[in-house]
Amino acid sequence: MTKAVSKVEKEDFEPYILVFCCNWCSYAGADLAGVSRFQYPPNVRIIRVMCSGRVDPAFVLKALKNRADGVLISGCHIGDCHYISGNEYTRDRFERLYNIIIKQLGVNEKRVKLEWVSASEGKRFAEVITEFTNEIKELGPLRK
Amino acid sequence: MEGSVLVIGGGIAGIQCSLDLTELGYKVYLVERTPSIGGRMAQLDKTFPTNDCSLCILAPKMVEVFRNPNIELLTYHEVKEITGALGDFTATILKKPRYIDETKCKGCGDCATKCPKIEVPNLFDMNLGKRKSIYIPFPQAVPPVYLIDPKLCLKLTKGVCGVCEKVCEAEAIDYEQKPQDIQLKIGAIVVATGFEMPAEKLSLRWGYQYENVVSALEYERILCASGPFGGHVLRPSDHEEPEKIAFIQCAGSRDLHEGVPYCSSVCCTYTAKEAIITKEHSEKSECYVFRHDIRAYGKNFYEFTQRAQQEYGVKYYQTKISQIREDPETNDLLIHYEDLKTGEFKDFKANLVVLASPLVPSRGANELAEILGIELDHYNFFKERSYFNKLQSSKDGIFLCGFCQGPMDIPETVSDASGVASQVATLLNSVKFTQIKEKEFEEPEKEVKPSEEPRIGVLICHCGINIGKYVDVPDVVEEIKKLPNVVHCEANLYSCSSDSQERIKEVIKENDLNRFIVASCTPRTHETLFQVTCQEAGLNKYLFEMVNIRDQCSWVHMTEKEAATEKSIDLVKMAVAKARLLKPQKEETLNIIPSALVIGGGVAGMSAALNIADQGFETYLVEKDNKLGGILNYLNILSPIQEKGSIFLNEIIDKVKKNKNIKIFLESKLENVKGYIGNYDIAVCDKEKVINDFKVGTIIVATGGKELKPNGLFQYNDKNQNVITQLELEQKLKDQNGAWLKNINRITTILCANSRQEEGITYCSNICCATAIKNINILKEIKPELEITVLYRDLQMAKKEFEDYYRQRRKDAIFLRYDLTNIPEITKKKGVKENYEIKVFDTNLQEEIEFQTDLIILSTPMIPADNLEELAKMLKVPIDKNGFFLEAHVKLRPLDFATDGIFLCGCAQWPKNIQDSISQANGAAGRASRFLSAKQIKTSGLISEVNPDKCIGCGKCVETCPYNAIELLDIKMEFEDLDLNIKQSYINSALCKGCGTCAATCPVGAISVKHYDFDQIGVMIDSYLLEKTKLLEEL
Repeated sequence: MTKAVSKVEKEDFEPYILVFCCNWCSYAGADLAGVSRFQYPPNVRIIRVMCSGRVDPAFVLKALKNRADGVLISGCHIGDCHYISGNEYTRDRFERLYNIIIKQLGVNEKRVKLEWVSASEGKRFAEVITEFTNEIKELGPLRK
Repeated sequence: MEGSVLVIGGGIAGIQCSLDLTELGYKVYLVERTPSIGGRMAQLDKTFPTNDCSLCILAPKMVEVFRNPNIELLTYHEVKEITGALGDFTATILKKPRYIDETKCKGCGDCATKCPKIEVPNLFDMNLGKRKSIYIPFPQAVPPVYLIDPKLCLKLTKGVCGVCEKVCEAEAIDYEQKPQDIQLKIGAIVVATGFEMPAEKLSLRWGYQYENVVSALEYERILCASGPFGGHVLRPSDHEEPEKIAFIQCAGSRDLHEGVPYCSSVCCTYTAKEAIITKEHSEKSECYVFRHDIRAYGKNFYEFTQRAQQEYGVKYYQTKISQIREDPETNDLLIHYEDLKTGEFKDFKANLVVLASPLVPSRGANELAEILGIELDHYNFFKERSYFNKLQSSKDGIFLCGFCQGPMDIPETVSDASGVASQVATLLNSVKFTQIKEKEFEEPEKEVKPSEEPRIGVLICHCGINIGKYVDVPDVVEEIKKLPNVVHCEANLYSCSSDSQERIKEVIKENDLNRFIVASCTPRTHETLFQVTCQEAGLNKYLFEMVNIRDQCSWVHMTEKEAATEKSIDLVKMAVAKARLLKPQKEETLNIIPSALVIGGGVAGMSAALNIADQGFETYLVEKDNKLGGILNYLNILSPIQEKGSIFLNEIIDKVKKNKNIKIFLESKLENVKGYIGNYDIAVCDKEKVINDFKVGTIIVATGGKELKPNGLFQYNDKNQNVITQLELEQKLKDQNGAWLKNINRITTILCANSRQEEGITYCSNICCATAIKNINILKEIKPELEITVLYRDLQMAKKEFEDYYRQRRKDAIFLRYDLTNIPEITKKKGVKENYEIKVFDTNLQEEIEFQTDLIILSTPMIPADNLEELAKMLKVPIDKNGFFLEAHVKLRPLDFATDGIFLCGCAQWPKNIQDSISQANGAAGRASRFLSAKQIKTSGLISEVNPDKCIGCGKCVETCPYNAIELLDIKMEFEDLDLNIKQSYINSALCKGCGTCAATCPVGAISVKHYDFDQIGVMIDSYLLEKTKLLEEL
């Protein structure tokens, strides 16, 4: 495959991306992005959970197994968790998840991301999504 | 005595007050003279400082009012006459003819579509939009009932036409309706009539007569997506996008010669909001704010105005406006102004001008005052009983809340509304729950067994054009109809409207549905509404699922209709997948122990305790100091009433001590809090170091604040007698005679000492300016020959009294203005006397001024009380970045914590004066006593649960639970003929908040989170991805 062809393919490529949002901050941030009409790429599908601490690593692995091109987990900023400390567990768990992704599955670590977005960060939500989508587009589809 | 209340005015004040009153046990008649409740808040685009969509957070409350069985909604009604007295009033209410039978109208709008009469300006859109002669004020109006304008209707004026009667399938049109009087018996009356913004009354120099000069309220409609221009910022004259937008502050406020003498108090902050939103709408637009002082009065509001400048590039000019004229060629505006930073007169050309014109009491306030027999103040606001009780009018049994009493923002309005409700409750305590109907679902809950085949109904919302314009809704409906288990799918215009609720119930019943999905806006605001609707149809509320295709599809992919439609379909499909696995959940009923704990014995704590105790509940008041009173103990004279603080303090302490329902702990500390709403175990260590254990149902945090001691700043240290803080001055004035001033001839007061900084303390404490102004006058009275200089940045004189208060006292001092780039320099002069030299760059004169002074008084910020982290941990409630407690929602839940059962008030929430502390305390008491009055509550069904067969007793979940809701129990298990001692996790359902962290931590998957369990989320992932990968493979 020549370089030019692969570039075209990347441009046409519309990735499948799952986003887990906590109800109190990130989902509200997504709402604010909506209310403020901040535009972002339509490749993401949001799954609402009450706390980012609910995001079982198995969900991420399941998504990757089902060939999601990217998975984003988003919760309240550290210190702002509606459930006091749920997001701290998310952070710790995420580090361990990384090891599995890289070492055992051989999936590019850029495909799974953790981002804190607060309820007032509508603009940031849109930016995070845009950036992540572009990164995944750059990586191309997840092939088995 | 009547157990019912008349609330006059259906804005946010009346709405909140009515809702709280019903929860406290009173029937409410809510009278609103316009055709819909919602008031001014419904007209706003967003609300500061979070920029929440205003109607999005208000609409659920409006619908809650509409469906509350204990609120009789009397819109398009007016109060005609009131007789009687507290406990037994009789009201005569005029029911104005809508010419439509409100019991028959479905709000479909067919009549308005066919109505031939030319359109007239719509008042809800501040006359920028149009309506027909048969109309509904706005799409989300409550009740959703149309009405006919009798002055315009051809049938009513000329006897011709009658088209609406022909097209109305509900046969709701009734041209024969006549005005009607109804009589009501009530125990108390609440006045909540709000404000208006009559920009047309401004003198011509403000330029309101020009088309492209709009009032701020008109601009809210322009910004609003459902407004007259569809959310595009356009000029009224040519519907072109303006490039340069000028926001004029104090356009008629704070003005003795025209407009109003007071500060309207909310303009500085809403202007920052409007400018920010303008920038968000169009990045190339340039926003210029022509300001006077910045008076962002409220929690984090000052910082919000700074964000407008720093993050959004809104430019602020410190100016005085002399005239605004129009260029007749271009309809641009020429603003002629004085630049207060340079003293120069300049001209500025803007494409659009937004005037922050004065906010005044709603028209008709005078007549209403006469009808009610209550007094008005000299600004025409309703007059409060006293400074210490702004919630009560001059007449017993009649209360005031919201803007009709004086300028205030929404959080304060909401607090006051709750405060009024609790004051009514203390007065009508003996007739609580006498006229109340319990909310019962007529339809018994239908049993849905796990084995039953799912029968899913789906409703896809157009949200007017909000979704419909950017997502192909019919296409979504067609796709969803194809899915297995989807028995019914349809689209509608507004799923949140009350006729839609009826439709949902109809659909559920007709199709015998056992799951229901609404795809519309965000569940954060609307889930409860639809859940109740499902319950009314006999469906367990956890069998409902919501999809947010507005905030996640239509509004964020406005130029990609195809992709937005595809995404909507995917999201609904994912919800359908989850819905198949939804299970009905039970909510437990908890009994409430009818007593309260109030932490902090200052003015706020004492007021809250008194209010709860007066409602007949036992109250424990814990104070760390050896006396009650908090900061008020150190205050001398209170502004603006000029009365000794000790008079009120002694009165309230006396009342608290005499109240047999209040138990006081002085020099005591909260040792431990265990439990949950309705059932807290409290341990208080008293001054004898004895631990007192008792139980309460609810907790109020009123820990107050304290003054910052600015050690090292401006030569301040705790020994220096000649550089003191404002509070130290108060103490001197209070405790000593004037002798200490003998050798002092020159005094300098420095405002904003260490507040409103770029780093560190960034906020404005709101109360320091008025205190400083008060004290310069008191000092002058003691020693008239004193020379006083005030160094200020902006003068915070918000609220109705303070502008006049300042005006009367400004002669007492020389005012020099400095800014953050030039902090005053103080050097100590060597000599016999303590003497300081001050160097300051006065921005008004643009000159450096040097002078000497004998005494320096620093107005430093109010900061939170000490050791709040410890308390916050114990109560499991959050603290904000400035160290104050963080409420559940800054706009509509200012007194609640996110944790049920715990409330806050006074300076623990934010710096405030005595008056606001008291009314907030009443509000918190009202919020808390709702639970105490109800005697029991229902817990959420969204909690985690341990599967005992899978649990290995490792205890990982116990460590992760932030609420200490999980215990490791010792269980005996029989294994063949052996007795085994094993450990097993147990989750206390009353403590569990349902975050699900334990479930994600459990190594063996023994914990499931109800409504978010492993399989339910798993199928959502599969639903989206498996189908896509299948598609890929086919390619």
